[in-house]
Amino acid sequence: MSVTSFLVNDLLRRKLQTTLTVLGLTLCVASTVFLLLFGDRVGVGISLMVEGRMTAGFSSIFSPFIVFLAFLIFIVGVVIISFMVFVMMSQRVKDIGLMKAAGCPNNLVFGYFMTELLIVTSAGCFLGAIFGIVADNASISLFQSMGFQISQKPPNLWIVVMIFVLFFILALASGTKPVLEAAKIEPAKAFSPTHHLGLAKEPGFRVVSNSGLTFRIAMRNLSRRASVTIRIVACLSIVFLLVTVAVAGGIIANQTTRSWVEKALGKDIVLIAHRDICSRYKLLQSKFYEAKESPQFNYTEGRYLVPDEILNQLGAMHGLSIETRLFIETQIEEAPGFILGRESGSTTYVGDHRKGFSLIIGVEPGKVFGQWFMEGEFLNESNGLDAVIGDTEAQKMFSMPLNQGIRLHNSTLDIIGVCVDPINNGNITYVPLKTLQNITGTSKPNVVMVKIDTSVNRTYVLNQIKTKIGSLNSEFEVFELNEVLNKDLGFLGYIWSAIMFLPLFSLAAASLCLIGYVMLTITEQRQEFGILRAVGAKPRTVVEIVSEQIFMVLLSSYAAGVVFGIIITLLILIPEPVITEYTVFEIAGWLVIALAATFILSLYPALGFARKPVLDMMAQA
Amino acid sequence: MKMGKGKTVVSAAFLSKTYQTSDIKVEVLKDVNLKIEKGEFAVICGASGSGKTTLLNIIGGIDKPTRGEIIVFGEELSLKDEDFLSDYRCNNIGFVFQAYNLVSTLTVAENVAFPMEWTRKPADNIRKRVEELMETVGLEHRADHFPFQLSGGEQQRVAFARALANDPPLLLVDEPTGNLDTKTSLKVIQMLQKLKHDGKTVIVATHDERILALAEQKLLLEDGRLVSLE
Repeated sequence: MSVTSFLVNDLLRRKLQTTLTVLGLTLCVASTVFLLLFGDRVGVGISLMVEGRMTAGFSSIFSPFIVFLAFLIFIVGVVIISFMVFVMMSQRVKDIGLMKAAGCPNNLVFGYFMTELLIVTSAGCFLGAIFGIVADNASISLFQSMGFQISQKPPNLWIVVMIFVLFFILALASGTKPVLEAAKIEPAKAFSPTHHLGLAKEPGFRVVSNSGLTFRIAMRNLSRRASVTIRIVACLSIVFLLVTVAVAGGIIANQTTRSWVEKALGKDIVLIAHRDICSRYKLLQSKFYEAKESPQFNYTEGRYLVPDEILNQLGAMHGLSIETRLFIETQIEEAPGFILGRESGSTTYVGDHRKGFSLIIGVEPGKVFGQWFMEGEFLNESNGLDAVIGDTEAQKMFSMPLNQGIRLHNSTLDIIGVCVDPINNGNITYVPLKTLQNITGTSKPNVVMVKIDTSVNRTYVLNQIKTKIGSLNSEFEVFELNEVLNKDLGFLGYIWSAIMFLPLFSLAAASLCLIGYVMLTITEQRQEFGILRAVGAKPRTVVEIVSEQIFMVLLSSYAAGVVFGIIITLLILIPEPVITEYTVFEIAGWLVIALAATFILSLYPALGFARKPVLDMMAQA
Repeated sequence: MKMGKGKTVVSAAFLSKTYQTSDIKVEVLKDVNLKIEKGEFAVICGASGSGKTTLLNIIGGIDKPTRGEIIVFGEELSLKDEDFLSDYRCNNIGFVFQAYNLVSTLTVAENVAFPMEWTRKPADNIRKRVEELMETVGLEHRADHFPFQLSGGEQQRVAFARALANDPPLLLVDEPTGNLDTKTSLKVIQMLQKLKHDGKTVIVATHDERILALAEQKLLLEDGRLVSLE
């Protein structure tokens, strides 16, 4: 038999083990490739804001999240591969003993199994890269079918090549040690179950004697095979850490970012404006989830300004709160500021004279419906020369915005706050309405925002408003802002769902890993299970013992992973998280489902094994 | 559930067992007919590979025949499912394996106790029974040791104690002296004598002439066929 056919036959003979290793590696590579391609495509993460979507404030949450998840997925991949190779080699110890007893030198044994490792690693990395690209393409179709424009540029193949090479090298590096150790084992030891199954090793601790028999056996098996137990616990802890960060972080970050959008836009708000202004408003809002060009637009044209009779009629209606706004788009200029050195007392100037276009929104400070997530403070009625700028504008045009000013036409306003706002993708400046009217010489607003009190019949009042506006000026429209709000929230929801979907890959890889562990543990204990069955234990007793072992392994990894995952999410990744009772239950639910799914999947080999004939069990592996 | 009310304990008719690999077919047992009565001490002898262990495995319910009938305590074993056979092995059979087959993760006392735990006996009863059996096999001082800390003879005695734990009506013993030195073998033979004296139904597979001398029914397996030596 040629060397090649020996290797291929050896891999094929252990179909399940080989498949598990290749599949585990495939999932790790695929999830990393998909994560990075997806991050590149939606404009967050690795290539931050490449296509001008998502405001800087949102990206400040998305980016570290994606980078951290990518890092964890990468680590999980390395740990899983190392474990899989360890399991693969552990099951070949006897074969290695046979080869060596037959006179095969160490270097040849090492060569055989390294070549096997090379085949498995190449197959896993190659399939992973392909599946990663396929998943990325599938995500584009999915987003498009949901009505979102996602960049259709070809996948960045450099990312794919980089991940392929990195995983390939790491898999080989982490697999070499167990191969080397196995190749060095003495034939006598390789044959002896007493040695390689740890049968001559007293259990590390005694469990209380009145504990259940199955639990006693399970615990002693875990402690006797300490090295493999520690490996699997470490591996699963990282997986659960990843799952927790993705699930808990995803849910909390989703709620936090949703609350930012909801508060900035306001809920159940009705916008009344000229139909062109309404269209323009939709366009400005859609920049949050779609990269769009906005052609020149003159906001202060006479026909766009809200006539007094509309304002009077609305003011006369019962159950309405009214806010008027003036929107314009114009050039702004950064005004340098200065900071005083605390100890030296010297003055340092910050900023430059950068120029850019911004959406300027004049608001009545005491009446605004929005509540922004912000740094600094919002406008007040007493000072007309203050401004609040959007997060993207602050990042793009200002060095230390809160110490600087903004030049608008010939006026310089002090920046007192930076807010997160999806409109015009964060390129906005809020100023007092009167100030803006003075600067532009416009006496009227071009937008009226109306909030209908919950005490009145919303549908009825809305119809009344529509009738009145229609009769006063047919070019004016009544537009419910919930439509754009839902679009923004939907976009955020889908992005987070896609990110939360990622740990599924890792969870699946971890389940394969656990199945590998269960197969190893069954192989090592098969004779003992056979003895138990021969002396009267039922098949379910075998399943009980294996389940208890799996459960102990899962529980210890779960505890470590979840605790660290929550700490990292809340303390590092999300500033000012929004957490409700419902959030806690939702996170707990998902994490319990993850635990249960992993547990159930990993029982598969035990269920099959428990039904084997007693004599087959008792036969040496 | 204890069985063993009838006079005939084991009855086999045209029992055959064939092992088949991809292209090789090995017929280990060929049309074996056998009857063992209650309280009888039967010995099956034969050369290595003659099928002694296979026959014991089939009687013990851990293997199934390819053809023929095997009735133990009135139950046709080849028709039973795994759950029935587990109960059957636990309550009615004491099996002493040639390789002792002790559970390495359990102490000597636990190895003796665990068949009783399947039957959900009270913990106190189990403890007393273990003490009694450990005394019977002379290993009280080894109760907390693990199997790998015992010699072959000691492991064999633990295997006997475990086989007797549930006081089974039928004891199957496979090559009990095969792996032991002369002195230790004598101890095992003494134990078998005691079991015979106590009226247990015992079937022993062995080459050992000294055990053959104890037999009330002597059977020889030759090329898978059973012949009576009487």
